[in-house]
Amino acid sequence: MVEENVKNLREGPMGWAKFYRKGIGYFAFAMHRFSGLVIVFYLYLHLFVLSHLLVGKATYNSLVTSVTYGPFDSFLVLDVLLALVIFYHGANGTRLALNELGIGLENNKAMFYVFEVISMVLLGIFLYYAYMFLGAS
Amino acid sequence: MAEVEMSSGREVRSSTGSLGRMFQAASGLFLIFFLGVHLYVAHIDFGHPIQFFTSVIENMHNFWWLAFFIVFVWVISYHAVNGLGGIIKDLNIGEKGKAYVNYAMVALYIVTVVYGTILAVLVARIPLP
Amino acid sequence: MEELVVEVTRTDEKGNQKLQSFNVPKDKVSTVLEALLYIKENMDPSLSFRYSCRMEICGSCGMEIDGKPHMACSTTIESLKSDKVKVAPMKHYKVIRDLAVDMEGFFGKYKEVKPYIIRDDENGKYESEILQTPAQFDEFIDYSMCIKCGICMAACPIEGSDPDYLGPAPLTAIWRYVADSRDQGAKYRLEVASGPEGTSRCHFVGECTEACPKGVDPSYAIQKLRGSMVKYEFQSLFRRH
Repeated sequence: MVEENVKNLREGPMGWAKFYRKGIGYFAFAMHRFSGLVIVFYLYLHLFVLSHLLVGKATYNSLVTSVTYGPFDSFLVLDVLLALVIFYHGANGTRLALNELGIGLENNKAMFYVFEVISMVLLGIFLYYAYMFLGAS
Repeated sequence: MAEVEMSSGREVRSSTGSLGRMFQAASGLFLIFFLGVHLYVAHIDFGHPIQFFTSVIENMHNFWWLAFFIVFVWVISYHAVNGLGGIIKDLNIGEKGKAYVNYAMVALYIVTVVYGTILAVLVARIPLP
Repeated sequence: MEELVVEVTRTDEKGNQKLQSFNVPKDKVSTVLEALLYIKENMDPSLSFRYSCRMEICGSCGMEIDGKPHMACSTTIESLKSDKVKVAPMKHYKVIRDLAVDMEGFFGKYKEVKPYIIRDDENGKYESEILQTPAQFDEFIDYSMCIKCGICMAACPIEGSDPDYLGPAPLTAIWRYVADSRDQGAKYRLEVASGPEGTSRCHFVGECTEACPKGVDPSYAIQKLRGSMVKYEFQSLFRRH
């Protein structure tokens, strides 16, 4: 029996982020968790921003304009990062959902790469079309 | 749900964790569709990277779009809260702590969908400027 | 003479940890276990570690080698591709001393899944031998290769954050017996696997499979088990107890 004062090497939740030199599944897991938490945070932030619709046209328009056209347009960088984590989460989530249904279990690593490449191409197309309108207003 | 006594004498009550994961996967697949439509409609289709007040109100005056966004809120909230609960339950918080997390997540889900639904309905009732 | 620097994370009886380096002649050893034995015999007899068969069968010498859980006996010096190796006790266990960890928690979880054939036959008396087709045999044989080294438990990030989670090896053992046509204990096993610490806690990280020295593929077994769990849990919603 081990004494209680002897060191326990359980890593805790910090271990979830230690994907360096691990398999690709570990990276996928760590990023899926991180991106999920970011998206949950954004979901509530989004509901908060949308609540300003009830205040009135001027308030809502000035809020969304300030973070898109200025003076706080540096938020666009965060927008791009948000789109990145959403597309990542969606692609890896699709792989996991298909694995959950028993599809592609043997090739799950290859599926990760294929799905991520497709989602990053879609992200590029989305960002191109979304931001080509930036100067339009 | 059944209860079995393990070799160690500890009793374990079976749960529906695997069904929960299946629902998480299914709701996630639905979200690919919902979010795809949302990103196109809100960030591309209107000729701006964002939707302004008038276009949001116009959009929400259509019954089908209103229904779409209400279902979207229900599904994304389920997926978000279920996922968040799953992450918290991976911590060393004991059996009781996990039971409290379950209650907290159900409460968070109810608050989110009720708020989201009321917000969508109220926005749909704003007269067009 | 070429030397291998072995940096060992040592833990004394009070739980204090320190790093200690030893220079081992490369031509005297071929595996990490042999390097540790060389240190014990020639440099520091107080160095503690667990080993037995030296041929990846007993499952005793699991430890962190360069940050990943491996069997010391089957990790060759050549495979390290370096003149330095870091050796530490396996993560997610309590350290008894130096590289020897307490496996009690792991074996406790393993016993809970009843890792043996359960039969309904009275007093274990069978009228004849229980036959299996090659296809039935193939269903479970890969998973019966587990040597209970506990390396998968050290590799699993969920095991690292929650000691209550059953873990890869016990869940793989459940699938090994559920998939065995001779076994009749599926109801008990599926109840255990369906519990809050069962299959639903696996997130298909796959690090257990990466680390398993015997190629057992626990993450695949858990996914297969999960398929049975969904059916079982769905049916149990309508079942009366």
